[in-house]
Amino acid sequence: MLEHILPASGLLFTLENILWINIGVFIGSVFAAIPGLSVILCVILFLPVTYSMTAIPGMMFLLGIYCAGGYGGSVSAILINTPGTPHAAATMLDGHPLSEQGRTKAALKIALYASTFGGIFSALMLLFLGPQVAKIAAQLGTAEYFMVCVFGLTIIAGVSGKSMIKGVISACLGLLISCVGADPMTSYDRFTFGIPRLYLGLDLAICLIGLFALVEILAKAEKKPGSLNMDAEKIRDDGVITREEYKRMLRPTIISSLIGVMVGIIPGTGASEASWFSYNTAKNMSRHKEEFGHGSVEGIAAAESANNAVTGATLIPLLTLGIPGDGTVAIMLSALMINGLNPGLSLFTTQGDIMYAIMLGLILVNLFMLLQGKFLTTLFAKVVSIPQEILTPIIVIFCFAGAYSVNKNYFDVGVALIFGILAWILRKLELPPVPILLGLVLGGMTETNFRRALLISNGSPRIFFSSVYCVIFLVLILVAVGTIVRGKVLERKAAAGKED
Amino acid sequence: MKDQLARLGARLDAIGERLAQKDLRIPVDLVTGVLFALFAAVILRVMPDQVTVSEKDVVNGRAFPTMLMAVMLLGCVMLIGKELYKLAKKQPLAWKTINLLVEVKALVILAILGGTYFLSRLTGLFVVGGVFCCLGFLAYFRCKKPSYYAITIALAVGIWAAFRFVLNVNF
Amino acid sequence: MKKRVLCLGLVLALFTAALAGCGGTKNVSWKVTCPWAPSGVAAMVSQQAATKSTSYSDSITLVAEAIKGDAATVNTWIADTKANDPELVFVGEGLLSITSILDPAKLQFGYEDFVFVENLYSSIFVLSADAGLGINSIDDLEAYARSAGEISVATNGAVGSEAFLAASLFGAMGAGDKLKLTPYESAAEAAQAVARGETQFAVSHQSQILETYQQGGVTVVCAFDEKAVENGPFAGVEGVGSKGYPYFRNRCFVMARAGTDDKSVAELKELYGKILADQEVADWLHDTMLLEVDTMTVADVEAHIDNVKNIVNQYKDIVTG
Repeated sequence: MLEHILPASGLLFTLENILWINIGVFIGSVFAAIPGLSVILCVILFLPVTYSMTAIPGMMFLLGIYCAGGYGGSVSAILINTPGTPHAAATMLDGHPLSEQGRTKAALKIALYASTFGGIFSALMLLFLGPQVAKIAAQLGTAEYFMVCVFGLTIIAGVSGKSMIKGVISACLGLLISCVGADPMTSYDRFTFGIPRLYLGLDLAICLIGLFALVEILAKAEKKPGSLNMDAEKIRDDGVITREEYKRMLRPTIISSLIGVMVGIIPGTGASEASWFSYNTAKNMSRHKEEFGHGSVEGIAAAESANNAVTGATLIPLLTLGIPGDGTVAIMLSALMINGLNPGLSLFTTQGDIMYAIMLGLILVNLFMLLQGKFLTTLFAKVVSIPQEILTPIIVIFCFAGAYSVNKNYFDVGVALIFGILAWILRKLELPPVPILLGLVLGGMTETNFRRALLISNGSPRIFFSSVYCVIFLVLILVAVGTIVRGKVLERKAAAGKED
Repeated sequence: MKDQLARLGARLDAIGERLAQKDLRIPVDLVTGVLFALFAAVILRVMPDQVTVSEKDVVNGRAFPTMLMAVMLLGCVMLIGKELYKLAKKQPLAWKTINLLVEVKALVILAILGGTYFLSRLTGLFVVGGVFCCLGFLAYFRCKKPSYYAITIALAVGIWAAFRFVLNVNF
Repeated sequence: MKKRVLCLGLVLALFTAALAGCGGTKNVSWKVTCPWAPSGVAAMVSQQAATKSTSYSDSITLVAEAIKGDAATVNTWIADTKANDPELVFVGEGLLSITSILDPAKLQFGYEDFVFVENLYSSIFVLSADAGLGINSIDDLEAYARSAGEISVATNGAVGSEAFLAASLFGAMGAGDKLKLTPYESAAEAAQAVARGETQFAVSHQSQILETYQQGGVTVVCAFDEKAVENGPFAGVEGVGSKGYPYFRNRCFVMARAGTDDKSVAELKELYGKILADQEVADWLHDTMLLEVDTMTVADVEAHIDNVKNIVNQYKDIVTG
């Protein structure tokens, strides 16, 4: 490795690369900060720019978008209670309440610092432990993936709000919606009701626009004309994070970065799963559980460090095994292949300098994200002072443009609109929308892996206990369920105590 | 023109005041339970038509959605049962107050969103829908500042142009 | 103030009109829609061709666009285009030969709605086996198929080309009833599944199994082609055609809308021909993507579609149950 570091640094530290990193970071931050425009959409739209570049600047540009997109999604989650990207939904739970407390800049800074930490942590993992970690990841199969999903579903309890029953109903709805489209195991249509385009399924980013962004637009109806714009006094925060808060952020940030890396190396999972797992873990481990959902600094730090820790981790199976961990990374794979690079361990010997330049570049990308973020935080914080009369239609336009751009079709805009109406009805029925999102994120993966595992084992459920990894996940699931039950018992006791 | 707008505003205010006083109270958990139980039942009913299965499947395409709907039904039964128990014990039910003015305003916003969508789709030009959206919301907020109109419309055109000519999204 | 707003509005309107009307007439931009993921093989090849188009033509510029959606994207393309529109689309045997038989309701088009321009490449699928089975040749495979109680094959998707190739091979060996197709979300996942031992075999593009093969997790048993693979890391791997088993290559045809004038089609074909003759493009296709440049005639295309249709009709019961 060391023999490659020096020549790789020479390849990386050029004016061209630094310029492209910064352009990528800027585009990624801004794009992901706008509701309706996801990171993958941004990478798709800007991919043609890289075709005229060589491998390193092209990858630096795309990595800039990818990493900064991980952070950028938190901006709108914090500012306008609408996650810019699906993985920022967990950040929204505490980010927006903290912003409403008049600490917008502080919330943005926590998200930035946690994202940078998570990003650099995973970049170091990629650099030093990439091949070893990839070998472990390669041992995880269908049954293990299913266990990860089940573990993920235990999070529903933590995000159900006042009523767990309603959370479960919401989650079932989300999981059912994920079944719409061609059955991944047979290709037969399911719940398409004769609508041809539905066999493609419902894109998560489009559902998200309706569930979180458009419903926030409809919710303007609930506000009185005088209370539409934020109180000017509230906006004037200095962005100070106290030493105590830094101390509280440290543990969840480290643990969440680790979770982010572990989730990121599993192909098919991604930043959304990582941020929810981490948020839930941080909540369970915190001494200030009551603050979660009301502006907890730990909650923001956990969600953000995890979703950025995924960025380096998804590159591990890509660069070592040629397996793209998620959709965005699959596009990066094509950018490498167009330059004649077919990723895999053999490339570390034939093109080691380029591979190490890319891995070192990831650290650089995160550092520039921090630098740009510090500047952009001040700028982003000003969004809350934009009059609603201007902001509202612009958000709608971005949402519709984003929904259209996913598949270049107005059908998807209609779907987003329908999800907006659905979310409005659910709001009236006091059903939490986050479990629906969780169902959408985990639904396809849960069902496919469940059915595929049973297909492999010819219907024997023993496959779910067949490896040491399965057993580990099973223990984690039992611990999670135990924690939920214990929490409910304690809650009841506390409520009974109050009544007495 | 100014007078006409002022008169329209006053009339809308008067209607708004009347609507604001009209509330609808619903037993929210009971309604949720019944609605989603019906929903689950409908999904289970249409499942054979909507999901084709093959005899070869170890676990077929209906298994997962059926399981989900069963869990949903169970949740609904628990929700309804809890509320009926409260009713029997003469405990207060979970009520939700729905204000008519809020719902009418939400419908107006929905009409603006729908209008934006249909105009974009019918004309094939997203910018037309975008401009309608700006005008619709500015009118909704009863904005009287011409600069706001200019800024939002300019932004709408700018966003469309950026997508159309920079990002090659042809709409 | 009012005047300023009015002026601003006017400037904006002019700006919009100018933007909407811009675009030269001398050089015609042909948009090439690829109905699969932007990270897919076809999208990458199309993008390479688009990048090269300006080097070989002053009158035609190819603009590549990838809109995933498969049949849905092509349906939209058909609805939105008419003869002589500067629009091209990729269509493969998956749509023309497989979906058209298994789920014709999904397609709002037929072969007659297109006019063939060119085929850019062909890909030879390979069958890989779990290294632990020690299967290295078709003879080994035949022996295994005779003795095995169950044959599990990982494929990319449930009813794609890979599934039909597996079904046709084992079906022709008389082991169709033992075959268990296990669909995965991507070819890379399918390749990993066989290396992990979840399945015994996998069918994939050569480039997708290369890394797993180099790491020793799998052996490559045979290629779905007439003869043995001639070049690249899998040179010498037997072709199933040599033993009389059915096969087809994966091809993606560039099509224009039916009725587009012959001159335009000929010019486009000529341009694609020049691009594919470019040594840099040929080397990239060959060395990185492990594909072959494969220009075709209309007769070749029709023969390919019919061949795949025959295989689908013969073995669809094995695939769909």
